[in-house]
Amino acid sequence: MADFARKICLLGDFGVGKSSLVARFVRNTFSDRYLTTVGVKVDSKQVVVANDSVKLVIWDIAGKNALDALNQTYLRGASGVILVADGTREPSLRSALYLLMQAKSLLQNPAAVMLVNKIDLIDRWEILPATLEELRTTMPVFESSALNGVGVDAAFQDIARQVAQ
Amino acid sequence: MSTPFPEAVDRHLRDVLIDRAHPLVLSIDGEWNLLAAKGDCAYWGFVADQREEALQTVRDLFLGIDLSVEQGFQFVELPQGQAAHLHLVPDGAQMHVVLLDARGDSERQRAGQQLGNEAELAGIEKNRAINRLKQIRSELECQRERLEEANALKNAFMATLSHEFRTPLTSIFGYLHLLERRLAHDASTQHSLRAIRRGATHLLGLSENLLEYGRGESGRSRLNPIRVEPEQLAEDLRVMFNPLAREEGLGLTIEAESVPVPLIHDEVRVRQIMINLISNAIRYTPRGSVQASLRWDGEILALRVIDSGIGIAPELRSQIFKPFNAGGQQGSKGAGLGLSIVKRLVDQMHGTLRLESVPGEGTRFEVDLPPLGSTQASTDPIARQTGDPESWSIGGTALVVDDDEDIRELVRTLLRDLGFQVHTASDASEGFEAALRLCPDVAIVDVQMPGLSGNAAVYRLRAQGYKGRIISLSADDSLDAREAALSAGSDSYLTKPINIERFVRAVRVAAEKSA
Repeated sequence: MADFARKICLLGDFGVGKSSLVARFVRNTFSDRYLTTVGVKVDSKQVVVANDSVKLVIWDIAGKNALDALNQTYLRGASGVILVADGTREPSLRSALYLLMQAKSLLQNPAAVMLVNKIDLIDRWEILPATLEELRTTMPVFESSALNGVGVDAAFQDIARQVAQ
Repeated sequence: MSTPFPEAVDRHLRDVLIDRAHPLVLSIDGEWNLLAAKGDCAYWGFVADQREEALQTVRDLFLGIDLSVEQGFQFVELPQGQAAHLHLVPDGAQMHVVLLDARGDSERQRAGQQLGNEAELAGIEKNRAINRLKQIRSELECQRERLEEANALKNAFMATLSHEFRTPLTSIFGYLHLLERRLAHDASTQHSLRAIRRGATHLLGLSENLLEYGRGESGRSRLNPIRVEPEQLAEDLRVMFNPLAREEGLGLTIEAESVPVPLIHDEVRVRQIMINLISNAIRYTPRGSVQASLRWDGEILALRVIDSGIGIAPELRSQIFKPFNAGGQQGSKGAGLGLSIVKRLVDQMHGTLRLESVPGEGTRFEVDLPPLGSTQASTDPIARQTGDPESWSIGGTALVVDDDEDIRELVRTLLRDLGFQVHTASDASEGFEAALRLCPDVAIVDVQMPGLSGNAAVYRLRAQGYKGRIISLSADDSLDAREAALSAGSDSYLTKPINIERFVRAVRVAAEKSA
């Protein structure tokens, strides 16, 4: 069993639930209190991919709709990016796609997955199913909920599989 | 070169800054072995048995980074909770990592950023609320309805209560239907089944009345217009009340004329009016007969219920439409809600209600209801199906997703009777996976399930490009709930308790489209 580590960055607009997703994935906890992230918050978790143990070092970068100079430094050395959008805020999906474009200009062929969060609030979603159907042809897309855990492990497992290759 | 500070000031400044920054310098070789640690080791956890873990944390921060050039990261919150400014300084064969406490800066920045972000989120919510208000105002203008926000919580509570009543009633009526078809037709068995149906019918009427009463005057002001078939409705009422009338030794006729054009009305309310009037008539008719009819004269849907019962004294007639008026009539046995509900429903549909009664001879109720929509075209594809649903053998594959085991098994049995090969799933996530894997001709998905809701599962399926037919099943008969399910991607929407004939029609429509 190989044992190695990879750096993964979470990118997305503020308030989409990046820190909550990390808390759900790493500690299996959830708080509905919104607490903004300053700079970056680093966590890690070991996952198993095809008999290999991969340590994901997760950089939860403060939410913005574009990467400023400070946030660009955090991307150094990253193998993959997890884009996060809020299903109840359609513009957050556009922000996530813009952030992906910026990340691709700074990193060489980063692995990427898209998490569209807050599926527990499905009745308030502004993103159409067809939009995600189309997006899914370009990258893995997961509808998720940090509140009840839907889609969270699957998304992190997917990025782990990609960066382990 | 700047002028040096006086030595005492310089010493003071260094002390203050060091106190604030808790600096730590780690000297490390190329293999990340710690050569020396100088500074506030305790603050950063570089003590005794925590040293290895702390060093690993720092090492992780420089994962994938070129260590031969100077690097720096500002405002990094570490897994142990400290906030740091980090600097990496190469120095020949070794390198130094400098950690400075950023907690103060971080907290100050967080305070400002939190306010800004919360203000922006509040702005988004505010805009959303304004748009919603505009939409509501538009709906109000179009439909001349009044919605009060204060009723939202109450409606949600009633929806939950409704689910709690209707889900077990779905099981009772569904399995009763199966038993009536399958069990021996001897007198004892038939007597038992009639007793069960009588009790269940009473319970259904009572619960529907209680729910309607609980919703209040304004709780259900939105009507739900779909195609109504008077003949089908009359047949349903005969199935429901014939056993009861036989038990009481009463003659019961329920008639309806076929309507040449599609008749658009609120079927649930029309049905509830007829159930209450017939139930009331049977209850207060010790001998003789009850006659009921549904007729469409081109402008008005006329409901008539005439009995030869005890009648209503003139002085009681103003009382009987008030709630909980069980003592109003001689020998009364019900909860006293039925006629008050009838009046409310008729008012909601802008209809008229008349009462004629002769004590000792009988009572005649007349309800006239205007149509709710165009009588030229039906919006309900399920209602357009005609013929005997029991004779249809459809076939194909089906998936049933419901957390309630009894309902799941009931729907499975019904689908098997229709010739389907049936798969089941007990929650939305399992159902989501099964639908993608099996691609059934028809998926029946319960809306209200713990965890991922049925609507969320349907949405996720459609977002995956799933093209199979989906029928949502819910205890909530409101237009909002129907629209939410259809918006999520369902093809049709059925309510509990399941009307067997309507269920069969819906499955047939779905299977035909799938084919």
